[in-house]
Amino acid sequence: MNLKRRVLDKLAGKEVDKTPVGCTTSYGVIEVMKKCGAERPLADTDPEALSTLAMAGYEHLGFEWIKAMGWDITVVSEVFGCALSDPTISMTCSVKSHPFCDSIDGIHWPKDFDKRGRFPVYQRQFEILKEKVGDSLAIYGQCEGPLTVGGNLVGIESIMRSILTDVEKVRTIIAAGTQAVIDCANFAERCGADYFNICEPTSGPALISPKMWEALVQPAIAAIVENTDIPIVLHVCSNTDKIIPMMCDTGVAAISIEEAANMKQAVEIAHARDVRVFGNVSTSRALFMGTPQECYDEATNALKDGVDFLTPGCGIPPGSPMENILQLKRARDDYYQ
Amino acid sequence: MHKKETVLADMARAVVDMDETAAAKLAETSIELGVDAYTGINDGLVKGMNIVGEKYDNEEYFIPELLLCSDAMTAGIDVLRPHLPVKEQKVKEKIVIGVIQGDTHDIGKNLVKIMLETSGFEVVDLGRDVAPQKFVDTAVEVNARLIGLSTLMTTTMGKMEEVIRLLEDQGIRDRFRVMVGGEPVSKGFADRIGADAYALNGTEAAKTALELVATF
Repeated sequence: MNLKRRVLDKLAGKEVDKTPVGCTTSYGVIEVMKKCGAERPLADTDPEALSTLAMAGYEHLGFEWIKAMGWDITVVSEVFGCALSDPTISMTCSVKSHPFCDSIDGIHWPKDFDKRGRFPVYQRQFEILKEKVGDSLAIYGQCEGPLTVGGNLVGIESIMRSILTDVEKVRTIIAAGTQAVIDCANFAERCGADYFNICEPTSGPALISPKMWEALVQPAIAAIVENTDIPIVLHVCSNTDKIIPMMCDTGVAAISIEEAANMKQAVEIAHARDVRVFGNVSTSRALFMGTPQECYDEATNALKDGVDFLTPGCGIPPGSPMENILQLKRARDDYYQ
Repeated sequence: MHKKETVLADMARAVVDMDETAAAKLAETSIELGVDAYTGINDGLVKGMNIVGEKYDNEEYFIPELLLCSDAMTAGIDVLRPHLPVKEQKVKEKIVIGVIQGDTHDIGKNLVKIMLETSGFEVVDLGRDVAPQKFVDTAVEVNARLIGLSTLMTTTMGKMEEVIRLLEDQGIRDRFRVMVGGEPVSKGFADRIGADAYALNGTEAAKTALELVATF
């Protein structure tokens, strides 16, 4: 079956011959960078290097779809005014400053966002990737979610306090982030992405309660789904068991979860709502620090639990051995023999 | 009207209720009633924060609540600190903590700091994006025996190991106990890099730090 068709059909809830295997977060792995010759920091800023590393997921890791739009989750925050750290081969860039920590007056998402930050580079990357893969591989875009953007703009502790002391301020910040993510997803669609992944780590149950998630994050994600035509996948870190129903009720096409979450239970809940599930091989315990056998076993367990897309549970640590990552495809292929 | 017997419980309650104003006011009241400041901190404010820690462990409270409770405790401590007798301001066990180089996420580290201070440690907080050598230099400089390393990102975990190697290279590994924590970190990782302990969260970090002190 054509790899792109398999991914798109599965995302639409149709029957396919095999569970697709790949990554819906980030795969800027040092060993892969060296193998394909596209290393950070160039692989963060140069469209050719970005595309080469994106393709390396397919060529060297056995992934059946590929990623555009870089390897970190700062693209929206950068356009809003956050300063970023300098990336190295072993480290993605991260947010260094919170430009609205003193006052949220002036938070503004520009209409010409696609002329700013790394968006022009990503636009060119999409063109290169489309030339390379045509209709053979699906491509996804990605950015940080509205609450994660908010934490970057005002500081995580500040936004956490405001949830209880000034919720209207939080709603204002999230509204700005929501519009940004809508524009970002529509940008990706215009450029040829097949689905769009929202990474929302700051909204994880390790930080906020399910009630807070329902009140603040769920409406924002639902608004993004409502205002975009591209399938949306929602990734939330940590043990998401208590918010899986709410994640699904946003109307997303799929959710992406970590190993801390109960995959079997998540699949049951998601399928009852016509939502698919990505996940959930441990990135630190298995892919980074584990043995190939441990990676293989975790992948096999996810398949047994009914996962729709076999992927790492979060962004793959740069120091992860390729041999470990390759166990995902090996486990998937063996599972269907 | 508060009495000596109830003011401590009310101080604890103010912390649990995230009421900064009440915590400060009750701290003043406790002084007026003749409660010594040390008792006010430990049997009032810190007791409240311990209840908060339990609520966090039981998923009744999350990070927003924890931060506001901590603000209330700090407001009360700020009132009581000048009233501590000099003899009570004894030398505390020091711990140097920080977020390892390359990572700017510090909320977890800040929560660890709160719980360590609640448990009586003097915390030397190096902040975020801290070079491995800086941990070593500071620990030596301030004469701390404990070092706490935090990271949220898998990309920066490797830098934690550098701290251990630096201590070994300088021949001073035995003088320190090193504790690691953060979302991607595990007991297995701590063992692998040669750290002395791993802590899951702030409350665990405080308990673990106390256990580590006992190993000297």
